[in-house]
Amino acid sequence: MIELQDITKVYRTGSQSLEALRGISVKIGKGEFISIMGPSGSGKSTLMNIIGCLDTPTAGEYVLDSDKVAGLTFDQLAAVRNRKIGFVFQNFNLLPYATAWENIELPMLFDGKNGRRRRERVTELLNAVGLYEWRGHRPSELSGGQQQRIALARALANDPPILLADEPTGNLDSKSGEEIMAILTDLWREGRTIVMVTHNDHIAAHSERTIRLFDGQVVA
Amino acid sequence: MIGIFFRNLFRDLVRQPLRTALTLSGVVWGTFSVVLLLSFGDSVSKAQMKRFHGMGQGIVLVFPSRTTLAWQGFLKGKAVRVTPETVEAIPEKVPGIELISPEFVGSRLISYGRKEFRNTVRGVNPEFELMRNTIAGKGRFIDAEDMTARKRDCFIGDVLATDLFGTEAPVGRNVLIDGVPFLVVGVMRTKLQNSNYNGQRDERCAFIPWTTYSSLYGAKYVSNIIFRPRDLGRSKAVMAGVKGHLAKLIGFSAADPDALGVWDTLDFERQFTTFFLAFTVFLGIIGSFTLLVGGVGVASIMRVVVEERTREIGVKLAVGARRRTILWQFFSESLVIMILGGLVGFGLSAGALQGAKAFPAGGFTDFVGVPVLNPLVIVSTVLILLAIGVVAGMIPARTAASTDPIEALRK
Repeated sequence: MIELQDITKVYRTGSQSLEALRGISVKIGKGEFISIMGPSGSGKSTLMNIIGCLDTPTAGEYVLDSDKVAGLTFDQLAAVRNRKIGFVFQNFNLLPYATAWENIELPMLFDGKNGRRRRERVTELLNAVGLYEWRGHRPSELSGGQQQRIALARALANDPPILLADEPTGNLDSKSGEEIMAILTDLWREGRTIVMVTHNDHIAAHSERTIRLFDGQVVA
Repeated sequence: MIGIFFRNLFRDLVRQPLRTALTLSGVVWGTFSVVLLLSFGDSVSKAQMKRFHGMGQGIVLVFPSRTTLAWQGFLKGKAVRVTPETVEAIPEKVPGIELISPEFVGSRLISYGRKEFRNTVRGVNPEFELMRNTIAGKGRFIDAEDMTARKRDCFIGDVLATDLFGTEAPVGRNVLIDGVPFLVVGVMRTKLQNSNYNGQRDERCAFIPWTTYSSLYGAKYVSNIIFRPRDLGRSKAVMAGVKGHLAKLIGFSAADPDALGVWDTLDFERQFTTFFLAFTVFLGIIGSFTLLVGGVGVASIMRVVVEERTREIGVKLAVGARRRTILWQFFSESLVIMILGGLVGFGLSAGALQGAKAFPAGGFTDFVGVPVLNPLVIVSTVLILLAIGVVAGMIPARTAASTDPIEALRK
């Protein structure tokens, strides 16, 4: 359950200030598949960062699974991101010098899971995304679609209830994009909450509901 | 995690070999300087201390002089006269004395065959040997029987022995001292001596029993007293006891500052020790500055590395790394570079010291000793290395840990 109440985010640079979000209230229920749409500069990314606990709102309240997020320290937020939220980025954001296996393992290392559990989970995830044979390869040796599947596997490493996808198909050809959307849809059917930012109406059509932003406010 | 860590480090080190070499060379050179300077300081201190101990170890020298205060009807300027019997009896009255000897000093003709030298002759007792490090290399020192029987036995310095006897063995032969035959019972072991009093250094002296000296030359009063306190730290108190005792016995004011001239070598030794400690620390500080420059190099290179890996830091933070984890990652990378450089530096300096040892420096060695890689040098260097490493590692690591994940991911 994600509940945003009257969220405002103001960026200050010197004497200038920019209101990225102006009093946004959004409720996302458990197991929903939401897409967020809007033109550049409408505040989509800022909203995603706040939902993903990467950023904190200037004002307003954010309740995640009945916990207030506002008062948490950076390291407490890190723990929330680690266990409750999985990130999928447009440009994959895999560690370039680590293998596919090591990239997937990363969130579990920060959670302090032991070696055996990590091995089992990485194997399971690699099989699920069909890239077990590619486990020893670096991201540069993988295609875009393969990289995004590895990134998805990493997002799922600690089995988080929420997946945040920022333009997950933005850098992919349409076939790979469809594959990724198929996996996301499967994950939603399994009961995960999915929040996705996209420009693409066709991609947004996979979701149950679309939140449209304009100028830092919800328009629909 | 360990795997990734070392791969990351290795990658950073190998990808830019020139940069790595330059960074490491700063630390290597710094460590090299610290080790060499510290071990040099240490060996100089030890060599000088050894030379200083050539005159004696833990001793106080007392020179009877003239009074400078009127006392009980005596005018000032009265000569303070001490007999050897008085000296020998001091330990019965003054506690805390381990060894004591009276000493007569005179310049006399010493001859063997056609060779003749005017050298210093000292009349002493057997306890003199340990106090003044006049250890027998051949034969023996004056002994108790020589004392009681007033034997004409003498113990001679190593240089005097060579001057008189050349390649002949001196022990068991007779020499003439002012025309009187003496049997050579021992020759002093060669020693380094950088301080002295009354006459020549021990290497050129002849030592005879003071009983023989006083009866042969009619000397009644000693030129000086030499003693070693049982507790070296209490030399001042024991000296005060000796002075009080003699003042009462001979008749001068115990408050008279100049009635007895005192050379407390322990006092001198303390100053000496402090001076050489300061000297070594000073050298260490100079070395540390060099190492500090190496540390600055590591810190600035690590800053560049942090800059290059901002995106990686952003990803790690996004998937749940704590700031502490990031801090440790970069901190330990800097430390590994410092340790690597330190090890190479230690290796090089050990090699250099080994090389220096093989070089015959001749008399120079007497002054500076032989610098070695002893535990003190190693521990101090490691501590300096760690201190600089921690500071040099912390600065870039803190920068890395304070990365804003949103900014980092946008790059």
